[in-house]
Amino acid sequence: MSSSTAAAMGVAQMQGLPKQRTLLGDAARRFARNKLALFGLFLVSALVLTALLADFIAPYPYDAANPTRALQFPSSEHWMGTDEVGRDVYSRIVYGTRISLAVGLGVMAIALVIGIPLGLLAGLAGGPIDYIIMRLVEVFTAVPALMLALLLISVFGGGLFNVILALGIVAWLDTCRLLRAQLLSLRERDFVLAARTLGASGTRIALHHLLPNAIAPLIVAVTIGIPVAIFAEAGLSFLGLGVNDPIPSWGKMVGNALSYMRVYWHLGVFPTLAIAITMLGFTFLGDGLRDAFDTSMNR
Amino acid sequence: MARYLLGRLGGILVVFFIVSVVVFLLMHAIPGGPYNEDKVPLSAEAKANYMRKYGLDRPLVEQYLLYMGNALRGDFGVPFQSPTETVTGLIARTWPVSASLGLAALLVALPLGLLLGMVAASRQNTWIDYTASTISTLGLTVPNFVVAVWLVLLFAVQFKWLPTGGWGQWHHYIMPVAALALAPMALTARYTRTSILEVSRSDYIRTARSKGLSDRQIMLRHTLRNAMIPLLTILAPQIPNLITGTIFIESIFRVPGLGKFFVTSILGRDYPMIMALLLLVAVVWSLVYLITDILYVVVDPRVRLGKSKT
Amino acid sequence: MNRRLVFSHSRQSVYLALALLIALVVQACAPAPAAPTDSGAPQVAAPAGPVVNALGKELPADAAPLDQQVLVYPYSGWRTFTTIDFFQAVYERADALSDLLSDSLVRLDKNFKPNPGAATEWSLDESGLVWTFKLDPNLMWNDGTPVTADDYVATFRYGADPTHAWDFSWYYQGVIKNWTQAVNGAVPVEEIGVRAVDAHTLEFTTESPAPFLPAMLVYSNAMQKRALEEHGGLYNSDPATSVSAGPYKLVEWTKDQRLVYEINPDYKGTNIPYIQRLVVVNIGQPSQLLPAYEANEIDFVWGSGTLSPADLEIIEADPDLNAQYHPHYGDFRTYYFFFDDTKPPFDDLRVRQAFAHVLDRDAIVANILKRQGIPAYSFLAPGFPASNSAAFADTYPLDIEKARQLLADAGYPNGEGFPRLTLKLRAEGPAPTAVAQAYASALKDALGIDVEVTNMDFRSYMEELNAKPTGIQFSLISYGMDYLDPSNMLGVFVSGGRHTWANADYDALVREAGGFTGDPAERTKMFQDAERILVEDVGGVFVYHQTPGDLIKPYIKGPALEPDDNGVSAWHWPGFSSFSDLLSGVYITNEVSNYRQAPD
Repeated sequence: MSSSTAAAMGVAQMQGLPKQRTLLGDAARRFARNKLALFGLFLVSALVLTALLADFIAPYPYDAANPTRALQFPSSEHWMGTDEVGRDVYSRIVYGTRISLAVGLGVMAIALVIGIPLGLLAGLAGGPIDYIIMRLVEVFTAVPALMLALLLISVFGGGLFNVILALGIVAWLDTCRLLRAQLLSLRERDFVLAARTLGASGTRIALHHLLPNAIAPLIVAVTIGIPVAIFAEAGLSFLGLGVNDPIPSWGKMVGNALSYMRVYWHLGVFPTLAIAITMLGFTFLGDGLRDAFDTSMNR
Repeated sequence: MARYLLGRLGGILVVFFIVSVVVFLLMHAIPGGPYNEDKVPLSAEAKANYMRKYGLDRPLVEQYLLYMGNALRGDFGVPFQSPTETVTGLIARTWPVSASLGLAALLVALPLGLLLGMVAASRQNTWIDYTASTISTLGLTVPNFVVAVWLVLLFAVQFKWLPTGGWGQWHHYIMPVAALALAPMALTARYTRTSILEVSRSDYIRTARSKGLSDRQIMLRHTLRNAMIPLLTILAPQIPNLITGTIFIESIFRVPGLGKFFVTSILGRDYPMIMALLLLVAVVWSLVYLITDILYVVVDPRVRLGKSKT
Repeated sequence: MNRRLVFSHSRQSVYLALALLIALVVQACAPAPAAPTDSGAPQVAAPAGPVVNALGKELPADAAPLDQQVLVYPYSGWRTFTTIDFFQAVYERADALSDLLSDSLVRLDKNFKPNPGAATEWSLDESGLVWTFKLDPNLMWNDGTPVTADDYVATFRYGADPTHAWDFSWYYQGVIKNWTQAVNGAVPVEEIGVRAVDAHTLEFTTESPAPFLPAMLVYSNAMQKRALEEHGGLYNSDPATSVSAGPYKLVEWTKDQRLVYEINPDYKGTNIPYIQRLVVVNIGQPSQLLPAYEANEIDFVWGSGTLSPADLEIIEADPDLNAQYHPHYGDFRTYYFFFDDTKPPFDDLRVRQAFAHVLDRDAIVANILKRQGIPAYSFLAPGFPASNSAAFADTYPLDIEKARQLLADAGYPNGEGFPRLTLKLRAEGPAPTAVAQAYASALKDALGIDVEVTNMDFRSYMEELNAKPTGIQFSLISYGMDYLDPSNMLGVFVSGGRHTWANADYDALVREAGGFTGDPAERTKMFQDAERILVEDVGGVFVYHQTPGDLIKPYIKGPALEPDDNGVSAWHWPGFSSFSDLLSGVYITNEVSNYRQAPD
């Protein structure tokens, strides 16, 4: 499922056995009471299902062009109209779920896999390790994201995989920095000081107190990061350097629609809506998860 | 503090060095050169002539050392894409344009975002919260170049209130600032809301409340202040992006800023310009980060700078 | 020298003729442009006597006052243009409204015929290799010095100078004697075949007979020898060092924003303009051209590759805009797919033929390109000299069954075993990109071949294309003329150029015909035979001839915009510059005040 849920699960497991059931149970109950969160879960589940079942849902193949049917407005035959070469927009959006989720999740996965360990290390170890990691973060942040992505794509070529890689290499910085900042701030909070006074070990403090408390903003960051990645891919498409055709990415569809939108509104509106729904889904889900865990921890 | 700052400055120099080497290697790995080749292939000799003209026939190490040597003396060379000026001159001409646009967008986005976020948080789970959240979600959902195109069609072509683009008068700011401010505003609103909610549940706010402080006082004196840390973290990276310009907005509104050069330098294999832009952004980044770190201490006295934990 | 443009009654030209006819009819039916008497306010201000501009040229009766004789022209693209001189850098110029600061030896009229420009007359000696051009002795630089043959010689030497590395140096290669050797650094530039006989006599020596040389010399506007020596090739990029012998002079250049010319009162040539002032406005994003035009911020939109299919739709749906849309032949540009036929699978003619048979040109033109193209079955567009398009319509018509059979014969039944392809594009705009996508889908549909389409950045593409061996296996690209002679267009397929396709017979025919000075009909026949080889051997799969349309505000009028020999009234190639007499044939009518104030 979504990486944010996965991250949350991981956190729960780190809580240690005796607490686990209570914490998870509490969180789940709290989550279930939150209507918005459930709506978010519903949207994200729907997206994932759409991606998995695209072959059954889409009425047409995503790459079947037919110039004689180009640029048709929505009709009973083509619910969202057809694009500039006569491909069914609805089918492309359905298949695009796969691509856009792959871009969003792929980029965020890279971000989490690199960002969490480094962020933890920097925030907890401090000293020279923190120093080196933060210099590393700065090296990457010091290069403008768009320019780095462009450079990498110019050198290694475009295509879905390279686009995800190029965007992921930029995206982990926020995760790392955010986690570290949270840890820095939390380190000095009352409950940590209390734990320390009571003689808790550093690792124990980190795992039992710091990480769970730092996870909430991280979840929010991930839920925002997914659509941001989808966006960044749209930006590359605007420059003519996104994923290759006929692969249907929503970002590419929006980018392409730019020169058609004034007349063929459906080319711009539907992919934008798809991005918006994804965004809403992950946002509500992320907020819900945060609320669920947050309250149980600060109790 | 002074020792910390010195350390940071040393770190910045290391960053510069690594960035310059990595980028230098990357950009020379891009296929093609600064020569124009369109209809008929250039002969090998003609290409060689061209490379010689710009000193690109020398070994990379030598080129790098030469470039850095000149750069240290303040000579960043001549941009291939605009040989009638220097790189420094080009940046001096275009950067202020982008920076003024970015700062204007920031000045619009920050207060609006804070307001939206505070309103949403103080009325959590009401229609006010939902409305504010929807607005901020929309801001993050529609790419700004799409917004920009619609702004032009609406306000320039349809209503004829504003010119479609251009630069030099105050009204040229309106549309690009609106398009640019949307995302940072939305981001600010979201993080403000999240952080305020989080902080307001913490013990010291409960204490404050039990002491009988009004909601308003608590919001201003405690909550907002504590909510600033994540906000700083998330907003700081937006600033260098905003003030160094964006091709998406600048090309649509004909703003003669720095933004397009981030793209054209790579497309045109304009090596001196690529290097200069990267070093420029590296400087801006480093400064923003230094300031952010110091601000952490200001807003949250419990954060200690540079001291390793006991 | 150049034959008149005559349309053959082919299927393709019917489309073009139809499109043009529709445009003309719509123009005629559109609300008549306000006649001077019935359009109210502006006419009240019109002066009583005839208006005369700074060069003493009397403006027509319906002309706007001098302060409104301003042409506002867009420059679209992200590039910062660096020069307005052809011999400095062709691909770094502002697209149009450049090359105004001196006269070319010849200039074209609206029928693409080369007429005297800076040269009053020219002749060829018996050897067929030495051309003598007589310069107009009246021409002066506006610093008070005369324009001499030395200026032209210095300009050509600058073009061949290896240290300058001119991006268009290929153009005169193999034509002007010793040019190639000079560009490659083998001989000094002083030895190229361009020589000043006396102050006003210029002599060109060619490698082999080149009957098309005068047509080629449309690109021969001089730079000033003294300024070149003192300030280098970019002297015209700054009004302070700029010097003009042309109809206009540079007065302002605000980088990335605008460029302003004013009429040159010291101009002594014959291409005398009406328009007093020219403003080039930088418009970065091509999608913003139409909005800026609709908002009356620019007077003109150059349609070639800039107007999107949606823009065309908007134009078609709006009677006013439709009346301002002028379709024409542009630079006779043809779009075609090509292959790396040195390697499998495309070294097999049957595979190439199969690819040719699945292309549904009619559907592509009717639904994607609309008015911006006509189907192409061969390289030379209808109306271009030696064009033989009617003869090729049935060589490889749409025939899916036959295509499948051919592919099976080649060893790929139903596309089995055929490699996945990447169709590479060279930074193309929306229309060609859509064409490529449609073709990719047809290949999958009809032949079972998987094709991915990727739009590359210009330089990466060219680097791959020109690599040896080439990195481009399958691609869509275009070629438009540089001068009106078949040797120019067909030359791109001569072996050793940008394509791997090679055919000795083709090379021989194009070379021989290029230098052929005998009966023009025989020359045409040779070119047509060459083109037949190209088409039948599928050197390329030709898709469409571009028929761009420009938007011209109704207040721009003049003899240059009257119908040409084919009845086409348009802003003809090569546009508003010293290369064309369009420059002296347009003015702003007083209808302009209904649209805009005098620009500052």
